[in-house]
Amino acid sequence: MEGNILIVDDDDIVVKSCDSVLAPEGFTITGTTDSSKAIELIRDNDYDIVITDLNMPGIDGFELIRQINALKPSTGIVVITGFTSQQNIKDILQLGIIDYISKPFSPHTLLETILKATYLIKKIKALSTAEPDTEPDAKKKTEALNNIIDEYKSVPGSLLRVLESAQDLIGYLPPSVQRFIANGLRIPVSEVYSVVSFYPYFTMKARGKHHIRVCVGNACHAKKSGQILTRLKRNLNFNEDNITADGKFSFETVRCLGACGFAPIVEIDYDTHGAVDPDKTLDILKDYH
Amino acid sequence: MPAIKVRATDRSIKKLTIEDLKIIREKYKDPRTIGTKASILVCGGSACAARGSLKIQENLSGELEKKGISSSEVSVYETGCNGFCNQSPVINVYPDMTLYQAFKPEDVPAIVDEHFIKGQPADRFVYKDIKEKKSIPNRQDIPFFSLQTRRVLNKSGLIQPDDIEAYIFHNGYTGLVRAVTAMKPQEIVKEIKDSGLRGRGGGGFPTGLKWEISMNRPDHTKYVICNAGPISRSIIENDPHSIIEGMIIAGRAIGAAKGFIYVREPDNLFILRRLHTAIERARGCGFLGDNIFDSGFDFTIDVSFGAGTFICGEETALIRSMEGKRGFPTPKPPYPAQSGLWGRPTIVDNAETFANVPLIIANGQAWFRSVGTHSSPGTKIFTLGGAVNLNGLIEIPMGTTFRSIVYEIGGGLKKKSTLKAVHIGGPTGGVIPESLIDTPATYEDITAAGVIVGSGNLIIMDNNTCMVNEALGAMEFGHGESCGKCVPCRIGTKVMYDKLLDITEGRGKLEDIDMLAELAFEVKRTTLCGLGQTSPIMVLTAIKYFREEFETHIKDHWCQAGKCRTLSTFVIEPKTCTGCGSCARKCPQGAISGEKKKPHLIDQALCIQCRSCFETCPFVSIRIEPSVAEEVDSW
Ligand SMILES: Cc1cc2nc3c(=O)[nH]c(=O)nc-3n(C[C@H](O)[C@H](O)[C@H](O)COP(=O)(O)O)c2cc1C
Ligand code: FES
Repeated sequence: MEGNILIVDDDDIVVKSCDSVLAPEGFTITGTTDSSKAIELIRDNDYDIVITDLNMPGIDGFELIRQINALKPSTGIVVITGFTSQQNIKDILQLGIIDYISKPFSPHTLLETILKATYLIKKIKALSTAEPDTEPDAKKKTEALNNIIDEYKSVPGSLLRVLESAQDLIGYLPPSVQRFIANGLRIPVSEVYSVVSFYPYFTMKARGKHHIRVCVGNACHAKKSGQILTRLKRNLNFNEDNITADGKFSFETVRCLGACGFAPIVEIDYDTHGAVDPDKTLDILKDYH
Repeated sequence: MPAIKVRATDRSIKKLTIEDLKIIREKYKDPRTIGTKASILVCGGSACAARGSLKIQENLSGELEKKGISSSEVSVYETGCNGFCNQSPVINVYPDMTLYQAFKPEDVPAIVDEHFIKGQPADRFVYKDIKEKKSIPNRQDIPFFSLQTRRVLNKSGLIQPDDIEAYIFHNGYTGLVRAVTAMKPQEIVKEIKDSGLRGRGGGGFPTGLKWEISMNRPDHTKYVICNAGPISRSIIENDPHSIIEGMIIAGRAIGAAKGFIYVREPDNLFILRRLHTAIERARGCGFLGDNIFDSGFDFTIDVSFGAGTFICGEETALIRSMEGKRGFPTPKPPYPAQSGLWGRPTIVDNAETFANVPLIIANGQAWFRSVGTHSSPGTKIFTLGGAVNLNGLIEIPMGTTFRSIVYEIGGGLKKKSTLKAVHIGGPTGGVIPESLIDTPATYEDITAAGVIVGSGNLIIMDNNTCMVNEALGAMEFGHGESCGKCVPCRIGTKVMYDKLLDITEGRGKLEDIDMLAELAFEVKRTTLCGLGQTSPIMVLTAIKYFREEFETHIKDHWCQAGKCRTLSTFVIEPKTCTGCGSCARKCPQGAISGEKKKPHLIDQALCIQCRSCFETCPFVSIRIEPSVAEEVDSW
């Protein structure tokens, strides 16, 4: 597997042994025994995974993790630790890491964990590149989200409104945003998730620049909306998340948009197109750049 | 949803008195009479807007100017939807109400030239009778319009829905004045009860009775909710003030000070803008707010959003969703009228129900009962779709037969097709066969036929419809939209879906039919809410009326409509094939070959059963035969 990995441990033997296990698997490995050097490396390079010890002289693992989260939040962190009591592990996991390995560990455990972590982090990165957030932009959005939460914090039953506004702001509702909202409204994350997953309007995946809704309700079905769908799929190459590779279009099917006398209906962004001739489906898209 | 900006009113607004309303009615300059010679009413409904109504307005003004006709002679005015959406775009020329339809913005010069210069209707763009092809230039003579009784939709296509003065001019807010100044709450409830108005949201529950339950509750805080799911889109688009007026009257009747319009789709900007504008203007005129018409009665309305999902049309689920929770329905009783939003008495009514209320209060219950039947009085709006010539929005007296709807208003079936069934009730509705076409459209008769009024959605199905396939679609909807709370709905619909899929793919057994019918009956009987109680209706009615079709699917592996791909073979009848080649040109697989003017042949190995040859053939020479596959997988 490919992946750029940094190993930080004050014990040189650990760094070397990790290197000898992971390098033959195709990973690119950098190792250091100095945690302040590690911070520089992280600032200047893009690592998929940082493997770090917790007990280190100078900047310890906890501080390092905090710094990584601030500098490069999309880096996956795997912790090597000697403490394995329940409480300790809980504390460590709360720092926002992907996984941990307890000492002593076998080469097999190391490899398994790192493979899994790399796989995960690549998935997460793929999602976040669909939404290229520049730093100041992200800050502005956080602020806006905070404002929304403040506005509705004391209004009972306003969760749906907050989620709607948040989705409007960010485009979708990834787990991090759901957690943020739950914290802000002082309700359990599970409650936020239960609402997000229930309503079809909410999406946990990024959408394309233009979002296409094809009605497959029975009036539209009777007017061949199925063929519209087939044509879209055949010509636009959607991936498994229903987005095109260039991020321009995404689609979903909906049931009844209430304009049955004008079936079949295709909605793109906020425009309603009615009586769509399946043969001319692609023509409608021309106006969306 | 993006922020909604409300346009400021054209005229300055202030709190109006009853006197002011009278003055508006007298002084209001009907925009239709601004042009001394004529006014062109351009339909700005969503269908027409999508077909370029803006461009048409532009072209009209430009063309009139070019021809030297000033805007004081012929004015151009945008209206709401005419309900003739299938023929969009639509314009009407007042005062004759010459209706031009299905043209292109580029055709405007031709219309202006013929109508205003030559002084005769531009025949190419007027509506033609379907059978005799005779031109019918005037809107009021077109059967689609003349056979309707438009009460709720009476201003549709005639006024600009955002214009509150136009609404007042057409006797709007008369009902409200009467309700708050001359009637006690008990009298309002009695009037509604006596009118026999039944909920237009599907169930047909007597509205007055529901209001009475709420009125009699001692609570201080009560709520009025308008259930504005997608099916109410047409009314909101056309006449938002009638809903608002109905809600205020309801608030007065039950003693509520707060109303909500629950819009299920938060991204329907057209609707939201219209609602916000209407609420803003009603507030500006003092119809909403404190001390309405100095009666001491206060009422406000807010728009509330759902986030999609069909189940939130069910009233208890809707209330949960307004409380910011998952839209799970709760068992009734307690009914929302007793304990609804935040545990307070709440009446949830459909938008069309509310739109009927001001008419009843203004004109009296006897007037309301003057059309319709004894137990289903008044009119009902249906959307007409499917294989009829004219699709669109229609309002008819209850009790009109489906025959009249299909053949007279809808202009009969399209060419080459014959009527097979009418699908009633929207996604959870069912079908009645051609033999029951004389059923009157009333709550009782429709229920007796085994279906529901539901959303008032009519789909006319022709001989190209496969009922097994339709039932499959209904079950896909049923299990897709099930909220998952109760077992019969969540699992029952899935089991039915699987069985139906087996039948459409040739794996069915004869005993499956009875099993399906039994299961559908049990799901209908045992589920918690209206969704599970109605979604099996399609399966039940399909089996009840079209059982032999299930049998041919199972026994003969034959889908006569050619909709189930594995159960049909398309064959060209050599006797009638003229060899015109039009099917061969359409075939996406290149499976059809043959010499010109000689019978063609379909290569079955290439055929993907897409039906395009069947639909193209002008000579009906393509037959659909049973599946040729010898061994159909039987696992
Ligand atoms: C699954 C389901 C969906 C419904 N959808 C709607 C809807 O979109 N609009 C509506 O007015 N009523 C809908 N209803 C009916 C409502 O539960 C309720 O009966 C209605 O809003 C009451 O108003 P009415 O008395 O004016 O008909 C639905 C019911 C069910 C079971
Ligand atoms: S939108 Fe014009 S007729 Fe309906």
